[in-house]
Amino acid sequence: MSGCPGSKTIDFSEKTNQEGNETGKRPSQLRQWPIQLHLVSPMAPYFQGKDILLAADCTAFAFGEFHKDYLKGKSIAIACPKLDSDQEIYVDKIKSLIDDAKINTLSVMIMQVPCCFGLAQIAKDGAEKASRKIPVKQIVVGLEGNILSEEWI
Amino acid sequence: MQKVLNREIKELITAYPEVGRVLEEYGIGCAPCSVGSCLLKDVVGIHNLDPQKEATLMYRIEKAIYPDRKISEPVVDMTRKAEPKKITYSPPVKKLVDEHVLIKRLLALIPSIVEFTESSLKVDKNLILGCVDFIRTYADKYHHMKEEDILFKYIDEKAEIIQVMYKDHDIGRGYVRQAVEGAEKNNKTQVKENLLAYRDLLTQHIKKEDEILYPWIDRQLSTTQVGEMFRKCNDADALVGDELPRKYEKFIVELEEKFLQEVTK
Ligand SMILES: [Fe+2]
Ligand SMILES: [Fe+2]
Repeated sequence: MSGCPGSKTIDFSEKTNQEGNETGKRPSQLRQWPIQLHLVSPMAPYFQGKDILLAADCTAFAFGEFHKDYLKGKSIAIACPKLDSDQEIYVDKIKSLIDDAKINTLSVMIMQVPCCFGLAQIAKDGAEKASRKIPVKQIVVGLEGNILSEEWI
Repeated sequence: MQKVLNREIKELITAYPEVGRVLEEYGIGCAPCSVGSCLLKDVVGIHNLDPQKEATLMYRIEKAIYPDRKISEPVVDMTRKAEPKKITYSPPVKKLVDEHVLIKRLLALIPSIVEFTESSLKVDKNLILGCVDFIRTYADKYHHMKEEDILFKYIDEKAEIIQVMYKDHDIGRGYVRQAVEGAEKNNKTQVKENLLAYRDLLTQHIKKEDEILYPWIDRQLSTTQVGEMFRKCNDADALVGDELPRKYEKFIVELEEKFLQEVTK
């Protein structure tokens, strides 16, 4: 295998829709705007004391039950550790979310590709810089939208 | 079988000892339990076996109870998520597991302490009361109180397994009272018996918590609850200060030094 697994072309269009069905509505669980980590302010009311989901950009597209299973009840920030610039600001924002917004927990959702673990590292660095301590969880999504692991780190 | 699932485990094992042996094989040690009023279905559920294992276990239990009955081979539901082999804890629960380590270090020293007591002319009152202070302050006030006041509040406190935990804590307090009385009256046998009983009780108790109870509670906690519990435990710790765990860690280190020297003397 050669090249970056993060941008390697894989086609699974042949995959048939397994157990899911078309019936039933899935309302959006988003309760805020903006959501991009550069655009949000840790001072925003929707972050105060909340459980935060820090999601890599691709996760919401890959994981079918994103709203119902992970976004519900949480506030969100999204980022891409591979393409976004000025990522030191991200670390400081995480720190500020923990210390100033006094968030309850931080769940980092990333794709299984190696470069995506950079986002987990940003979360860890921010949490380490913070003087408050909170539980941090890592959720890894497979390329075909399955949850590969979910654990407290 | 439905009826059997709703029966109390102790009563089942008494009536069909084979059930106890089968459970033992699957690492479910209900036979020596002090209460035994858990229902069979809860006992099996709490251990979160993989579907294949659970199905064969149920099949074997049924066979043990109704040896003459024709029982169909287990149907396995492979869609149920099996627990990964390694136990991972949420951060607040992990802190409690870590506290067990210091308690287990004291438990490991008890046989030497008992031996030392037996070979001395008089009960070393200071030594015994020092251990009792560790048990009462670190194990009981610092650790068990967080379990009772915070952790157990997140689940149905009426659940049998929680009742067993409360009961263990209480029985432990009784042994400690007895050991103190033994030390006061210079009664070596009383000190010895109660310290050893405390050791057996707490060894089993901690094992149950680390391997079964805590993972079971963790599986039921929402992310929000984990965060909240983490904060409550930290607040409780902040209230006593970090001086207390440091002091008792030092106590154990010194005790280990003393008794390691005793052994090599
Ligand atoms: Fe306990
Ligand atoms: Fe405990």
